[in-house]
Amino acid sequence: MIRQSDGVSLSAIINPESIIFLEGRLSKEEVVRQLTEKILPAVSGVISRKALFDRVAEVEKLNPVLESGFYIPHAKFPDLDGFHAVLGITPEGFPDAATGLTVKAVLLLLSPHKPEFFQRHLNMLSLLSQTFQPEFIERLAALKDPAEVYALIQSK
Amino acid sequence: MVPNPRFKQVFVLSTAMLSFISFWKAASIVLCDFGSSAYYAGGIAMNAFGPAFPWFIMGVMLFSGLMLGVYTESCIMFVRGGVYVVVREAMGKVMAKLSVSALIFDYTLTGPISSVTAGLYLGSLLENIMPLLHINWHVPGRAFAVIFAVIVTVYFWRENIRGIEESADNNLKIISFVAVVAVVLIAWSGVTLYLRGFTLPPFVPEFTPKALGWTTEFPWIKAVGAVGLIMAFGHSILALSGLETLAQVYREIEDPKVENLKKTVVTIFFFSIFFTGLLTFISALIIPGDLIAGKYADNLLSGLAIELSGPYWARLLMQVAVVISGTLMLVGAVNTSFVGSNGVLNRVADDGILHDWFRNLHKKFGTTHRLINIIAVTQILIILISRGDIFLLGEAYSFGVLWSLTFDTLSMIILRFRKRDEEREWMFPFNIKRNNIYVPVGMMAVLMVLLAATGMNMLTKKVATIGGVLFTMTFFTIFHISEKLNEEKARLYAPDEDNDEKMNLRREADINTVVPELTKARRVLVPVRNPNNLVHLASVLETVSDDDTDIIVLSAKIAKGIQVGGETMSDEDKEVFSAVVLLAEKYGKTVKPIFVFSNDPFYSMAQVAQAAGADEIVMGVSGSSGAEIQLERLAMAWGMLKKADARVKPVLAKVVWEGRQMTYQLS
Repeated sequence: MIRQSDGVSLSAIINPESIIFLEGRLSKEEVVRQLTEKILPAVSGVISRKALFDRVAEVEKLNPVLESGFYIPHAKFPDLDGFHAVLGITPEGFPDAATGLTVKAVLLLLSPHKPEFFQRHLNMLSLLSQTFQPEFIERLAALKDPAEVYALIQSK
Repeated sequence: MVPNPRFKQVFVLSTAMLSFISFWKAASIVLCDFGSSAYYAGGIAMNAFGPAFPWFIMGVMLFSGLMLGVYTESCIMFVRGGVYVVVREAMGKVMAKLSVSALIFDYTLTGPISSVTAGLYLGSLLENIMPLLHINWHVPGRAFAVIFAVIVTVYFWRENIRGIEESADNNLKIISFVAVVAVVLIAWSGVTLYLRGFTLPPFVPEFTPKALGWTTEFPWIKAVGAVGLIMAFGHSILALSGLETLAQVYREIEDPKVENLKKTVVTIFFFSIFFTGLLTFISALIIPGDLIAGKYADNLLSGLAIELSGPYWARLLMQVAVVISGTLMLVGAVNTSFVGSNGVLNRVADDGILHDWFRNLHKKFGTTHRLINIIAVTQILIILISRGDIFLLGEAYSFGVLWSLTFDTLSMIILRFRKRDEEREWMFPFNIKRNNIYVPVGMMAVLMVLLAATGMNMLTKKVATIGGVLFTMTFFTIFHISEKLNEEKARLYAPDEDNDEKMNLRREADINTVVPELTKARRVLVPVRNPNNLVHLASVLETVSDDDTDIIVLSAKIAKGIQVGGETMSDEDKEVFSAVVLLAEKYGKTVKPIFVFSNDPFYSMAQVAQAAGADEIVMGVSGSSGAEIQLERLAMAWGMLKKADARVKPVLAKVVWEGRQMTYQLS
């Protein structure tokens, strides 16, 4: 049995450089693809481009959009040693066919695929879904600059 | 803020059927039926074969220990067992229908014989009390008994239509009172025997011509030797009536189930030996033979009280105590006959061999009123036809008892061969192991005794044979026709969609209305979906003590869209709950089943867990997604539901599958 209460914080995975604004009417797949491109340089030393895109495309089908309108496609890789994330803000939002919800915030999360890390992975998912509630997402979508987004996240 | 309500409807399965009882209460329920024969078995046996009766009643009580052993093995194998289920598993539906028809005859007669006996005891008491009150009224014993029996039957008819549950607490109080009266009676009898001395009754039975039945047509059957013993045993075996109640009550026995079953059985056995066996024996030692055959033939224990040594007022007080205890126990047996026969008929109806017409529910009380009406009318007719003649009722009584015991024992023997690989937590003793079969030599010996007594009773008990065969064939025909009609109906129509009440469901608007019903210190939430994948629930039931833990079983039905209201449970959903209830019964632990309509099962789990303040969420592994994804989705739902400034108790989230589990914390 693994019981860890490892603390996690959003500031550990999100910084102004890991936040992008995605303008225009995009599809879910396109949003995820752009986030994957954005995260690739950070992990390219240990994960190949093909492996990353293939795995993210796989999880994109598995991970549902949350009822809050927040979407967390997440994938685990054995060679990672820590979290990597990119936050995408889509002010216009994109429709999710499965739930009928409009999604304005997406966070692509990559975690180490190691049993000892899984507790932190769960904690992070829980923290993200707790933080990104509908009102908060609307406030983020109204911002124009990654630094402002980062500041608002920091203030939570 | 979460934009939409996720629960469309919350169904809660009534907890009444899922509360479990101690072995004391279980034993008292059985004894209210089984033990009540102490009040009439001796008199009826005396009437059939004379002063040797106490030996045979004691013999039957000792034999009850063997039958309790057979029932113990069958109960452990089938939590919801009883003759019908056991025989169906061993010999198929036709034999099961036959055996249950005979059993219904037993239950149907239990009411009249018990209520008439209670009336006779009350009548005899009034006969003694009236002169003391200077009331010059001769109580017409049998007429009084008939009127009393009809009133009692009508009373329980009404109560059962209204759905008043039999209370195990009341049964325990009755048996406790009866036990106190019995101890005083035995102690006082001991003093009386010490003062007066005694002579043991003869062992050789002397049969009345009526008790020989059709055997007089066969000159080669002599009522002597072994044949005489079997005949006398057969005339005494009505004292075994009520054992089937053990099979009906087993599902309600609390954890540890098997241990408590064994304690129940031992309690029943010793109570029966001392109460029915010993008191009947003592009666024969203290009451003069002519009074046993005459004045006290139909109220033997009343006679014992009056014939003790001591002042009359004290003996009369003892008689009052005996009559009150007897009336309570016998009247309780009348209710058991209603509940038992209704329960057995509902059980067979579940198996599709009773037409839905019989199962029609009362509009106001939701009870199977047509079944109850049939039972009540039949019982009243029997009471009126008997005209209060307890010997006539006793003559008819043992048919159903013997046949159901014979079928049950035979089936258990067959199952030793057919289910040879099934592990048994306890086996009836005296077995010879050959290959991987435990050949049940002990049970075979029991069966031999039963078959001998059954065969002999068919010849000696004319009323039982004619009445029993007619009754059994009537019910068998009803079952057979019903089964055909149900098969026809199943081919023509879709299943009835509006039968929620049969599962004791109640609707709640919100999960929070259910939370106050959770009163224990710890709470474990067990989500379920597949009735064939309840390994995780079994592991919780195995390891968790329901003394300090509420076990909440949650089934979430995926409903697309968020409109409120109108949903009903499908047969598949009910199948899940039936499996949950069966498992809870197997372990004897109380669970709180909750069914919700939701568009996300993980959201439902998190919401129920947070509302209930759960300490653990124990999931079964999903074949389609796997344990890790289940935990991830639960973690996201958990976080989404947490309010920013609210303190939510951390919960352990487990995924359990065969031999493995993953445990993490959600905080």
